[in-house]
Amino acid sequence: MTEHRKRIGDNVLKVENITLSFGGVEALKEISFEIREHEILAIIGPNGAGKTSMLNVINGFYHPQAGTITYRGEVRSAMRPHHAAKQGIARTFQNVALFKGMSTLDNIMSGRSLRMHANFLWQMLYYGPARREETAHRRRVEEIIDFLEIQAIRRTPVGRLPYGLQKRVELARALAMEPQLLLLDEPMAGMNVEEKEDMSRFIIDVNEQFGTTIALIEHDMGVVMDISDRVVVLDYGRKLADGTPDEVRANQDVIDAYLGVPHE
Amino acid sequence: MLFFIEATISGLMTGVMYSLVALGFVLIFKASGIFNFAQGVLALFAGLTLVGLMEMFAVPGWLAIILTVGVMIALAWLIERLVLQHLVNQTPIILFMSTIGLAYVLEGVGDLLWGSDVKVLDIGLPQGASDLMLDRFNLYVEKLEVVAAITAAVLVTVLAVFFQKTRIGRALRAVADDHQAALSVGISLRTIWVIVWSVAGIVALVAGIMWGTKSGIQFSLSLIALKALPVLILGGFTSIPGAIVGGLIIGVGEKWAEIYVGSMVGGAIENWFAYVLALAFLLFRPQGLFGERIIERV
Amino acid sequence: MLYREAGQFKTSYEADQAIFTIRQDRWLIVLALAVAFVIVPLVVNDYWANAILLPFLVYTMAALGLNILVGYCGQISLGTGGFMAVGAFASFKLMTAFPEMNLIIVLLLSGCVTAAVGVLFGLPSLRIKGFYLAVATLAAQFFLVWLFNKIGWFYNYNATGQITVPPREVFGFLVTGPMASPAVKYLFTLSLVVAFAMVAKNVVRGRIGRMWMAIRDMDIAAELIGVRPLHAKLSAFAFSSFYIGVAGGLIFTIYLGAVEVTEAFGIDRSFLVLFMVIIGGLGSILGSFLGAGFLVLMPILLKNVMVDWMGMAAVTAKHVEITLMGVLIILFLIVEPHGLARLWQIAKEKLRLWPFPY
Repeated sequence: MTEHRKRIGDNVLKVENITLSFGGVEALKEISFEIREHEILAIIGPNGAGKTSMLNVINGFYHPQAGTITYRGEVRSAMRPHHAAKQGIARTFQNVALFKGMSTLDNIMSGRSLRMHANFLWQMLYYGPARREETAHRRRVEEIIDFLEIQAIRRTPVGRLPYGLQKRVELARALAMEPQLLLLDEPMAGMNVEEKEDMSRFIIDVNEQFGTTIALIEHDMGVVMDISDRVVVLDYGRKLADGTPDEVRANQDVIDAYLGVPHE
Repeated sequence: MLFFIEATISGLMTGVMYSLVALGFVLIFKASGIFNFAQGVLALFAGLTLVGLMEMFAVPGWLAIILTVGVMIALAWLIERLVLQHLVNQTPIILFMSTIGLAYVLEGVGDLLWGSDVKVLDIGLPQGASDLMLDRFNLYVEKLEVVAAITAAVLVTVLAVFFQKTRIGRALRAVADDHQAALSVGISLRTIWVIVWSVAGIVALVAGIMWGTKSGIQFSLSLIALKALPVLILGGFTSIPGAIVGGLIIGVGEKWAEIYVGSMVGGAIENWFAYVLALAFLLFRPQGLFGERIIERV
Repeated sequence: MLYREAGQFKTSYEADQAIFTIRQDRWLIVLALAVAFVIVPLVVNDYWANAILLPFLVYTMAALGLNILVGYCGQISLGTGGFMAVGAFASFKLMTAFPEMNLIIVLLLSGCVTAAVGVLFGLPSLRIKGFYLAVATLAAQFFLVWLFNKIGWFYNYNATGQITVPPREVFGFLVTGPMASPAVKYLFTLSLVVAFAMVAKNVVRGRIGRMWMAIRDMDIAAELIGVRPLHAKLSAFAFSSFYIGVAGGLIFTIYLGAVEVTEAFGIDRSFLVLFMVIIGGLGSILGSFLGAGFLVLMPILLKNVMVDWMGMAAVTAKHVEITLMGVLIILFLIVEPHGLARLWQIAKEKLRLWPFPY
């Protein structure tokens, strides 16, 4: 792991005692942790541990039955996804939530929606403010396309792209939102070694160049140990451990959970 | 008071008729995920074939019914071969549109084969008012509607058992859930579809017989398909008992609305009341009374 | 050889974002417009206008509207007939109440009224989708037709319930009523349709279009990027209903001149426009034109072939027409679910290579 000097700030997001149930199933039990500014935080744990549910809560898709989320100093009990978006939280999904009917370019441009304001009348004429805005945002989007090296597939409908490229386009769309907090749900699932290296590089670059705080769910321990500053371990909806990668690696509870010691 | 009871019974009976058509919908939807807009036209086509056989070829009633069942099975096979087979894995809206196309085809062909004038259907079902009810309770109840109710009850029971208990029933439910998964465990999609559409065709025949005896075989029969939609909304798209309950509610609701509200606004409320009722339902309980909750996962 | 884009480089984002990026396309559209605006009015007669051109144009308008809702925003609607009726009756009431009002203003206002009604009946889309939404729109269809039948105020209490358009001039030319010349009617309608098509194209290629398409493709994910589903869906209903209302107004004022609501705007009209959108191509402005053209021309062609040429009885021909319509729809859905617009795109692709094989 390369040591990079970066100023990890105060916490930008704090979740306290989040409890989430579906019917009788408790997906999250009193989870508390924090995400600090400019860091890369990995959330790990066996399948079904509640990792995606946790992201869904932060993002506003699920509303917890108990607990609070404090984001940038503001306390709230639940968020709506588009509020989260407005506040600078962007997200990618395990199953790739792209707009399959649109091209790569359009998908990424849609990430700029919140920043486009030209009113309806100008849109009808596609002139003046509407056109200038469209071009200005296109410029920004092209920068992201260059950054993620997806120029060749600009016009391809994303439904036709292979899985690995779809994930990259989804990342591009999230970046187009210029988020302060980026939530990545298994960004490397289904990728081979080279693709994972590329993606890791992109994630680190995003974090270093733009200062974006990143929380990612990941199963590949090599990647987790390499790129994350801190790690949170979940199991059966509970938080097992929370600390630097080395600390977590040595934690007995974590080892038990992964290696499978019978629960009492 | 008497009038109210008569009106309610009449509404219930109409409701049973709606349910018969809705049943066909539920079958096909349950087993193939397709919303078969052509169900009403299937009833019309079945009715036309039945009458056509009886009138043009002087076939006796019972034989005509058997032959028509054969025709409906052959039709199911054709539909699977020519249409469904080519649309595997398409989105629901495309499948829905194809059934609209199918409805047009069946309507046109039915008219070409048997002519489009109204036909009288008489296969010996009891008609006229029930003397028993009239004498005992002073209520006007049509014998035909009682027969329809009993038939519907029998059909529903048979179908419910079929779906829950038999091997084929299980396969049908698998197919409704996920075409590809069903294929991968060796269920022959095509056979299943032919079976389902045949059963739906037979149900359509029953519906056609009931409606046809009541008001003759005519084009408006296919419009019943549209009325079945609110029934499905109320009962849930995948529930067989739901189709019955939904039908009854719509039938009675329509009747009451027509009598009590219709007089105030000039009548003909039946044209749209069912839909508005369904709409109101949708806003509070999108999956209907008995349907399954649709959960969308991200 | 003809259609090569070699040598045509776009050097700015604006150029890349233009509607017609290939020079040959630009020539083609200029040519088409020239023919449509200059040559056709000189040769058009009553039959051509009333049987072919006017229905083609007004249904294109309706198809444009419905395509926005169904093709771009993914909300199914079977209420098109009812909304066209709103446009028609709004036009009627405005024209009879304000005899001095310019016809264009009348049509635009009717569009606004229909947009408002559209938003009202579109509210359920916030809770329900797919087939369920289709049922909700059916409620709109049947209710609206019933309304315009029963409430005498809408047809000024005349005996038959039929509404007839009063004669009206635009820029000094008589446009409505039986005395208006077919060329004038045609040009008026054509101008409106072309203008509206351009507006539609502009809106769908910008942020609003992307917003609608995001809802269509994955409305849960659309919220992620900040799209408000309420806003997106209702704006689609409003925009779409505006167009459909104007189409209805045009059907009443220019195309038919007199309408009776059940006959002119029944459920079969809703299906007809939906077929136009599907066969033409969902999510394509060009597709709206192609679909409307196809479904206006086909019955006429069939009738000419079957009745005039083969001597079939009109009734039989009608049945064959219905059958064929159904067959064609199924065929299209199997072979090219993306409609004529996609076929056109494929043709252009082939043309780019022609005469080379690859």
